[in-house]
Amino acid sequence: MVSSDNGFVEHTLANGLRIVIEPMSEVQSAAGGFLVQTGSRDETPELAGVSHFLEHMCFKGTTKRGWEEITVEFDNMGSTYNAYTSKERTVFFGWVRVEDLEKQIELLADMMQSVVPPEEFEMEKKVILEEIAMSDDSIERRVYDLIHETFYPRHSLSWPVLGTADTVGSMTRDQLFDYFQSRYHPANMVLIVAGAVAPEDVITMAERTCGEWKPRSPRPGRLKPPFAKQGVGKFVTDRFQQQAVGLIYPAPSATHPDRENGDVLAAVLGGQNSRFFWNIVQAGIAPHVAAGRLDYCDDGMMIAFGFAEPSKVEALADAMRKEIDKISADGVTEEEVQRVKNRTRTALATESEAPYYRLMQMIHDIDVLGRPRSVTERLADVDAVTPSSIRSYLEAWPLGDAMGVASLGPCEWPNQ
Amino acid sequence: MILAPWGPFIPLKRFEVMAFWAQSSYKAGMSALEAYYHERLPCGVEFAALPLEGRRTTSFGVRVLSGLVDEPEDRLGLARIVEETIGKGTKKHGAQELSDAFDAIGAQRSSGVGRESFVFRCSCLPEFTDEALSLHAEMLTTPTYPDDYCKVAVDLGLQELTALEDDPQGLTGKLIAPSAYGKRLGRHELGTAEGLGRISRDDIADFWQRNFAANRMQITVVGAVDVEKFAARINSLFEGFGDSDNNGRREYEVEFSPGIQHHHKELEQQHILLCWPGVNVTNEAYPVERVALGILGGGMSSRLFTEVREKQGLVYWVGAWDEHPRGAGMIFMGASTTPDRCDQTINTLLREVERMEQDVTEEELNRAKVGIIAKSQTHGDITRAKLSELSGDLFHYGRPVPTSEKNERIAAVTIKDIQQYLSKHPRKRLCIQTLGPRAWESPAD
Repeated sequence: MVSSDNGFVEHTLANGLRIVIEPMSEVQSAAGGFLVQTGSRDETPELAGVSHFLEHMCFKGTTKRGWEEITVEFDNMGSTYNAYTSKERTVFFGWVRVEDLEKQIELLADMMQSVVPPEEFEMEKKVILEEIAMSDDSIERRVYDLIHETFYPRHSLSWPVLGTADTVGSMTRDQLFDYFQSRYHPANMVLIVAGAVAPEDVITMAERTCGEWKPRSPRPGRLKPPFAKQGVGKFVTDRFQQQAVGLIYPAPSATHPDRENGDVLAAVLGGQNSRFFWNIVQAGIAPHVAAGRLDYCDDGMMIAFGFAEPSKVEALADAMRKEIDKISADGVTEEEVQRVKNRTRTALATESEAPYYRLMQMIHDIDVLGRPRSVTERLADVDAVTPSSIRSYLEAWPLGDAMGVASLGPCEWPNQ
Repeated sequence: MILAPWGPFIPLKRFEVMAFWAQSSYKAGMSALEAYYHERLPCGVEFAALPLEGRRTTSFGVRVLSGLVDEPEDRLGLARIVEETIGKGTKKHGAQELSDAFDAIGAQRSSGVGRESFVFRCSCLPEFTDEALSLHAEMLTTPTYPDDYCKVAVDLGLQELTALEDDPQGLTGKLIAPSAYGKRLGRHELGTAEGLGRISRDDIADFWQRNFAANRMQITVVGAVDVEKFAARINSLFEGFGDSDNNGRREYEVEFSPGIQHHHKELEQQHILLCWPGVNVTNEAYPVERVALGILGGGMSSRLFTEVREKQGLVYWVGAWDEHPRGAGMIFMGASTTPDRCDQTINTLLREVERMEQDVTEEELNRAKVGIIAKSQTHGDITRAKLSELSGDLFHYGRPVPTSEKNERIAAVTIKDIQQYLSKHPRKRLCIQTLGPRAWESPAD
C-alpha cells in the first residue's frame, strides 16, 4: 500500500489489479467502481458496439447471481448505481452509505466475472436496438456521430459507441463472450474508491473479492487516428426542425500539456458568460451555442457548435467564425481568464464534497493520465493558465481557416 | 437589538434534530445534531437555514412565489421571459457587468420558472456568500429590463419552441400537461408563439412589478454559513421591496381530463406518457405514495424495469415519477419504444400499475424504503442537494422538515398502507399521450 502526498492510497494485487483510493474525512458516503480500459475504439468493424453490449450483459448474470439478484442487491443497498461506455472506456459504479461499501464492491466485482448468459443475450439485444432507435431521434447524438464519421474516417473512433442496428443485430453471444474474456481482467482494469473509508479495509475487500482473478495480457495498443480536421460532413434530413452546425479545429489530446489552455480558451469563447453568449445568443441568432474540446488519449478537437433555425444557419456560422477570428487575432484578456478560474474554484469545492463526483473525476484522470489528480492539483493546473499561455496555445493549435465543418438538419448547408 | 455592519440582529427560531446520517453511522468529532432555522423576517421574506459542518461551499436559493399561473392568458411564455431578462441589467450594473460581478466571486448560478414559483439558486465559497446574496438582491429588486434584451429574449423564446420539436420527451411532456393539470396549471414554460409574439418590454416590467415582492419570497441557505449574519443581511437587502397584497400562496385546482391523445411525428420511436392524480406532498399518504412509486419504478429491480425492459426487451428507458404543484400531485409513467411494440408496452405499463394493488411483497416494500432512505443519506453529502430539499420543504410544508423525520415516515409504511392508498386512488381514468409515427390501438377502441 502506497500513500501519496496528495492524499491518494494505491495498491496493486498480486494478479495485477490496481486499486486507487481517496479517503474523504468529512463525508458520510462512499462511491466505488471498476474502470475497464476498453471502449468502442478498441473494437473491430464487425464487432462495433460490442463494448457497450458487454456493459449491458454484465448486469445479466454471473456464476453466483442471476440478473434479478444483481439488481435486487443493488437496490437493497439503496445504491445510486449505473454503468457507461465511451469511445475509450467502460465504467461500472455504485454510491452507497459507507456501511454498504463492502457489499457494493463485492457485487461489482462479481459482475466483472460475468458469464454473459446465453439465455439473456437475445432479450438484451432488443433493448440495445431500442437504445439505438432512441439515439437516432436525438439531434445531439446524430451530430456527435457525424463529426466522428467525418473527421476520423476509416478509424475506429468513427464508429458509434452503441454500434449500428446491423452490427449489433448480427452479433452472437459467443463473440461477446470471447471479447469479454479478452478485456475484463486485471491488466485492463482499475478499482477506484472515494469516500469515508479506511484504505486498508478497501484493500482487504479487493483482495477477498478480486484476488483470484487470473492475469492476462493487456488489450492491443491503439492506432493513432489520421490528422483530418478539414472537409465537410453534411447530412440533410427533414427529421429535425433545427440545423446543427459545428466548426472543427485540431486540439491537444487528453494527455497533452496544452489541454488546460485549450479548455480555458473554449470557456472564454463558448462557456458561461462567454463571447458566444453575449455576441451570438444575445444577438438573437441562436439559443444554444457553445465551444468545447473533445479529447481522446492520442488526439483532440476543438468544436464550436450551435443549433439554429434553418433561416439562421449562415448567420450562426458567420458569427462563430467572426468570434474565432477575433480571439485568434487578439487573444484573451486577463479578466476573462480570471473569471474561468473563479468558477473552477467553486466547482472544485463542490466536487470535493461528494464521493460520487470525485469518483467520476478519478476515473477520467486514471484512464487518460494514468494517475488521479487531487482537487488542489487540478486547481493549480487551471491557475497556471494566463493570456500569454493561451497566446502560445493559439500558435500551436491555430483556429484558422483550415477547419472542418459538420452540418446536420433540413438545410442544404454549406453549399459547395 | 444588536447593530452589526450587515444589519440588525434578528432572533431566529431554531430546532435541533439527530442528523440524517447519524442514524446509520457516527463519526467521532462531528456533531450528530443538525440545527434548522425558520423565521419570517421583518422585511417579509420567509427564511430557513441548515448550517452543515465541514462543508466547503454555501448554497442558497431565492424562491419567488409566482410563476406560469400568473401569466395573462394572452401572454403565455411571459414568466420565462421575465426570468431570462431579470439579469440583463440593474440600476447599478449593465447586463454583462452583472454577469462579470458574479464571476468575480465564482458564483455558480442557476434559475428556472415553474407553475407556481421562480427559483434562483447559487453555490459559492463561504467567503463570497455575502457578495453573492447582495448581487442577487440587486438583480431581483432593481432590474431595468433594457428593451433590446427583452426583444432578443422573445425572439430566442420563439426559437426554443422550434428546438422543443426536436426533443421528443420534452414535447410529449408539453402535450400531456393541459389534460393532466388543466388550462392554468398545465401551461408550458415556453408558452406559445402567439403569446410570445405579443410580449413587450412593458409586459415584462409589469409582471415583475406585480409579482416580485419580499412577502412573496422564500430564501433558504445550506452549508458553510453564519446563519444570523445571513438572515440580517437578507432583511436589510429586501426591506421595503415590492408591494403585493397577494402572498403567492394560493393553491390552484388541478383540472384532470382523462383520455387518449396522439400527436403524429416521424420518429424512430413512439414516446409514451401516462398520468393520473396522486396526493399532495403534505398529505399523510405522501410517504406511502413515494414507496409505491419506488416499487413501481425506483431502480433496476423495480416492476417497470423488470417487466417492460428485462423480461420483454421492449424499451431502453422506462420510469415512474411524481410531480407536485402546491396542494396537488400527479403520477407519471413513461417509456419509448419502436412503433410496432407500442401497444405491448402500454398494455404492460397498465397491467403493472394495476397489479400493484394485489401482490406487493414485504421484500419489495423494504427495498423501496431503503432506496429512498439511503439516497437521502448519500446525496446529503452534496450541499446543493440539501438546499433543494430544504427549499422544497418550505414551499410545500411551509417549514423545514428534517430528513430524519421524512425518513421515519417512509420507514413506517406497510403493505396495508400501500393497498389502501392504491384502492383510494384508482388508475381507471388516465391521461395517455403518445408521440410518434402511429397512434396507440387502445383495447377499448
